[in-house]
Amino acid sequence: MSVVLYRIDERLIHGQVVMGWGPQLSVEHYVVVDDDLASSEWEQDLYRLGLPDAASAEFLKADAARERLVVMEADTRRIVVLTRTIAAMGNLAKDDALRGREVNLGGLHHAADRTERISYVFLGPMEEEGLQALVEEGVHVYARDLPGSRAVELKALLV
Amino acid sequence: MTNGKRPAGWIGGFFRQFLLQGSWNYRSLLGSGFAFCMIPILRRRGLSGDALDGAVRSHMGTFNAHPYLAGIALGAVAQMEESGTDPETIERFKRAIQGALGGLGDLLIWGAWRPTTTLLALVLAWAGTPPWVPVCVFLVAYNGGHVALRWWGYKRGLQYGKDVGVRLGRAALSRLAERAFVAGALLLGILAGVFLVSHLATEEAGGLWSLAGVLAFGLGLKFGHRALRGTTLVVVLVITVLTVLGNA
Repeated sequence: MSVVLYRIDERLIHGQVVMGWGPQLSVEHYVVVDDDLASSEWEQDLYRLGLPDAASAEFLKADAARERLVVMEADTRRIVVLTRTIAAMGNLAKDDALRGREVNLGGLHHAADRTERISYVFLGPMEEEGLQALVEEGVHVYARDLPGSRAVELKALLV
Repeated sequence: MTNGKRPAGWIGGFFRQFLLQGSWNYRSLLGSGFAFCMIPILRRRGLSGDALDGAVRSHMGTFNAHPYLAGIALGAVAQMEESGTDPETIERFKRAIQGALGGLGDLLIWGAWRPTTTLLALVLAWAGTPPWVPVCVFLVAYNGGHVALRWWGYKRGLQYGKDVGVRLGRAALSRLAERAFVAGALLLGILAGVFLVSHLATEEAGGLWSLAGVLAFGLGLKFGHRALRGTTLVVVLVITVLTVLGNA
């Protein structure tokens, strides 16, 4: 088992991830699952600017990531899998692919149809549905922005 | 992507950066501050009324970065506006660069520059200068550094536009952090040496304490960069205070 964290975070690779979770979990490799970014090298370069020297990153389309899940879980490196949206993580988790695993909600920020649940998690009806779908796939969902902060269980986020 | 021409209003954009965090909030983080900094540039493009309103709103989306490095993104976006880049690309640029500017800024400023300038002041204090000297040296060094960094980042952003990430590369910022770390390690060593020798040394044990000072200096030089964090500073301060009390 080599994926040490599955995380949904709109900012993807940023300070909380590389400075907070990175050292805590000794992360060596980041896999960003995002269809748009997988085919945009200039954006990938910008995201890579934030990586520590010892870590690497790759950007995969959803389908490629689903195919690679088993390989990633067996990888010798310690990997963090990041998605920008709940839907993208839901797609990864389909057909029990993440059953029994944990998914971390790290940052979903304000948008038109969302309301604040905790300071770094804003959800709307679509996000709530997506999170329920993750639970139905056997995933344990919780919110925690940094390793040192308190974990908030999903039911406390749903109103 | 560079067209060599700085957008009109860029000076105003620079000075507004000092108020970038004035409206920090959990909804858009630095978003409204970013839009505030863009106003002089948008105005000088001849926008007013509803058009200006719409343009400012388009820059109010969620954005976060270290405040001293946000200028890199601001300069680049001002350049992209000037060269007619489409709004979607600008939004994607902001989204992609923010994480790196946050993380590198934390490393460079909170992790390296602030502790280093604090140590510089502590070394001066221990060396016996009048109290106002370390205070002034800290304020001038710390603020001089951060204003210079803001100016440098903003100018690079204006110069390179959308390509600023590739053109700067991680190396430039990591190198700055590395230099500050080395300077901090050196100062930590000097501080340890100075206070061991000058305040703990006695006639009988002078040689021993001097040796301890030299050893501390060497250790600071070799390992200081690993230890140089806020917590280390607290430990140094506590030891310092205890030593003063013990010698009083």
